[in-house]
Amino acid sequence: MDFAFSPDQQLLKNSARAFLDEHMTPAAVRLLWDDPRGESEATWKEMAQLGWLGLSLPEAYGGSALGMVESAILLEEMGRAACPGPYFPTVLAARAIEEAGSDAQKKRWLSPIATGDARATIAFLDADLDWRPDAIQTRAETTAGGWALSGRKQFVPWAHVASVLLVPAKTPDGLTLFLVDPGAAGLTLEPAQMMDPATRLASVTLEGTPVTGAAVLGKPGQAGPLLKALLSRGAVGAAAEMLGAARRCLDMAVGYAKVREQFGQPIGSFQAIRHKCAEMLLEVENSHAAVYYAAWALDAKAEDHDLAASVAKAYVGDAARRVCGEAIQVHGGIGFTWEYDLHLYVKRAKALEAMYGDADYHRELIVRRVAA
Amino acid sequence: MDLTYSPEDRAFREKTRRWLDVNVPKDDAKTLGERKAWHRRLYEAGYVGMLWPKAYGGWEATPMQQAIVQDEMARAGAPPAINGLGIGFIGPTIIVHGTDWQKQRYLKTMLTAEEIWCQLYSEPNAGSDLASLTTRADDQGDHFRVNGQKIWTSSGPIADWGLLLARTDSKAPKHKGISCFLLNMRQPGVEVRPLKQITGSSLFSEVFMTDARAETRDLVGSLNQGWAIAQTTLGYERGANSLGRVTRYAIAFSQLVRATKELRRGGRPLLEDPVVRAKLGKIYAELEVQRYAALRVLSSLQKGESPGPASSITKLSYTEFEKRYFELALEILGPWGQLIAARDEFEEVDTSSGEPGTWATAFLWSRAGTIYSGSSEIQKNIIGERVLGLPKEVRADRLKA
Repeated sequence: MDFAFSPDQQLLKNSARAFLDEHMTPAAVRLLWDDPRGESEATWKEMAQLGWLGLSLPEAYGGSALGMVESAILLEEMGRAACPGPYFPTVLAARAIEEAGSDAQKKRWLSPIATGDARATIAFLDADLDWRPDAIQTRAETTAGGWALSGRKQFVPWAHVASVLLVPAKTPDGLTLFLVDPGAAGLTLEPAQMMDPATRLASVTLEGTPVTGAAVLGKPGQAGPLLKALLSRGAVGAAAEMLGAARRCLDMAVGYAKVREQFGQPIGSFQAIRHKCAEMLLEVENSHAAVYYAAWALDAKAEDHDLAASVAKAYVGDAARRVCGEAIQVHGGIGFTWEYDLHLYVKRAKALEAMYGDADYHRELIVRRVAA
Repeated sequence: MDLTYSPEDRAFREKTRRWLDVNVPKDDAKTLGERKAWHRRLYEAGYVGMLWPKAYGGWEATPMQQAIVQDEMARAGAPPAINGLGIGFIGPTIIVHGTDWQKQRYLKTMLTAEEIWCQLYSEPNAGSDLASLTTRADDQGDHFRVNGQKIWTSSGPIADWGLLLARTDSKAPKHKGISCFLLNMRQPGVEVRPLKQITGSSLFSEVFMTDARAETRDLVGSLNQGWAIAQTTLGYERGANSLGRVTRYAIAFSQLVRATKELRRGGRPLLEDPVVRAKLGKIYAELEVQRYAALRVLSSLQKGESPGPASSITKLSYTEFEKRYFELALEILGPWGQLIAARDEFEEVDTSSGEPGTWATAFLWSRAGTIYSGSSEIQKNIIGERVLGLPKEVRADRLKA
């Protein structure tokens, strides 16, 4: 048993840290806040060259076939940098295509994703904001040429830059996943302006949007279990990013407490501040254990992998909220200014708290598993 | 990163489980004689003193194996071994700082629990600020004369020996005038009075020393080096209870879930109440995180790494968790949770003390963990100063020194 990263994993972490420290400085993140696309094409291409986009894809499609632990390592670093962009939605969608896609679909999408030439996203949420796949109300009806989709998807990550949308919809056979061209007829994107300027979400309205029979991903009616598995993966990925953001907030709070003086001494010498920082560290370290246990459990297909994913999302969501909030408190007034960089990370963690099921949602999943 | 147990550890777990299946006493070991006999069997099976050197009667097992034994004992509901402070802390102190004579005389009988040990550290006016202790040991040539009062001594009434911290130089700065002794508890100058806790039981005592005798040969380390010795963190039992503790929490959680199915409120089982479900989900998530964190600590101990001051994070984490856990259980159970005497229709729970009792007993005991062995506030100071590198606080006693 070894909970520590392997030398290769540590190398990946170090190189991700170095890359993001150079390319995703707070100033670079702020530039992207004001960018209509919200991401950098150049950085995206470099991430592809570093092998990040194909990290967990099969080698046949230009990937490295690595696991969720490696993904979590990257995502933690991206959270630490508040790195804007469709990285996680794209690799999650790629996972769906890899799991359920035909050879033609995989060839069409996986290689371009690995090379940085395509972006993708999954439209999980319907209008009623229930993450359970059973709750999806968007419908697909058969037509002469294939299917017509109707419904309204909410808070779809990075839909405005996606080359393809993965849309789950109800059919007479049951829940089915469709590959949808964002430029298709009857499809309207409406970007939402969020508290975190680096989190780009949009609503997607489908009004009889036509797709061909070849757009069905996997077998019709079989999308439910796949979506549940993707949600578990999404939960762990989001938890990893929140962990990175929370650790950044902790580091900034501790750094500040060492140099900020009041009453003639550094504020970190006061127990009121020091104890807060100790509590923050405790929650960050426990979050580390939760994220990497869950990531390992997914890779190892451990019996408790879905439970561990819910535990990680529920625990880290609460922990990151407290750690980031206390970081503002430790900073005092400066932490409340737009100019100071702390809110980059506070807002990133907050945005992820609500994605892939919030803590309340995952607590209910936990109870269903352990108190049946 | 790989969290699968090795084939050796899995085999060891199987072997331990089979041994416990056959050997756990059918009736709880209640009398001291029964508990000593059970301890002796655990020792002979290789389940006590697991990390001690073989030269002193130990087994030189791995931290993981030690944790597995505690985990399996929790699962089997086996009575714990006794002499925990002796084997976990006092014995290792003698191994590191003691004389050959002390090692020969005390270690083996400590392991076998033929002699029970207690720790004589805290005083009524020296708790978190332990170094301000005032119990005196005056040099009389061939022995030291000991006068003073200790408190929060566990196993006091059954102890044969105690590890004593006493002041041997009243003029030196407070950390530099303390020595460490092995004190015979069976002598006229030592009086043990049980201390009744908020649980109603008496697992701790007050110890009064009036012209008690500590032999010169029982001084541990050199004179006035006692504080440094007491500060040595010794790795012999580290992580030992990490898995067993979580297993106990998990067993209690199953009992809590059973209770929420049986107890009703507003015409439906408690388990169907969304507020109760949210609470159960929250505490179970925390419980699992305790387990993951335990695996992380164990995997680092297995590699021979020493957690150092980071072990304060572990202690702070599980003791604070335990308080939240039993608070929440009592919120859910209402008056049923406050039964202090068991009732036939409502099952008992395994309390953290190893003392059987009700949920109320467990709830009360959970208040102790964040006070003993360095309170949560002291742990946070350690984490702040020694892990995060925050500046030391300005303290009145540091200004004087």
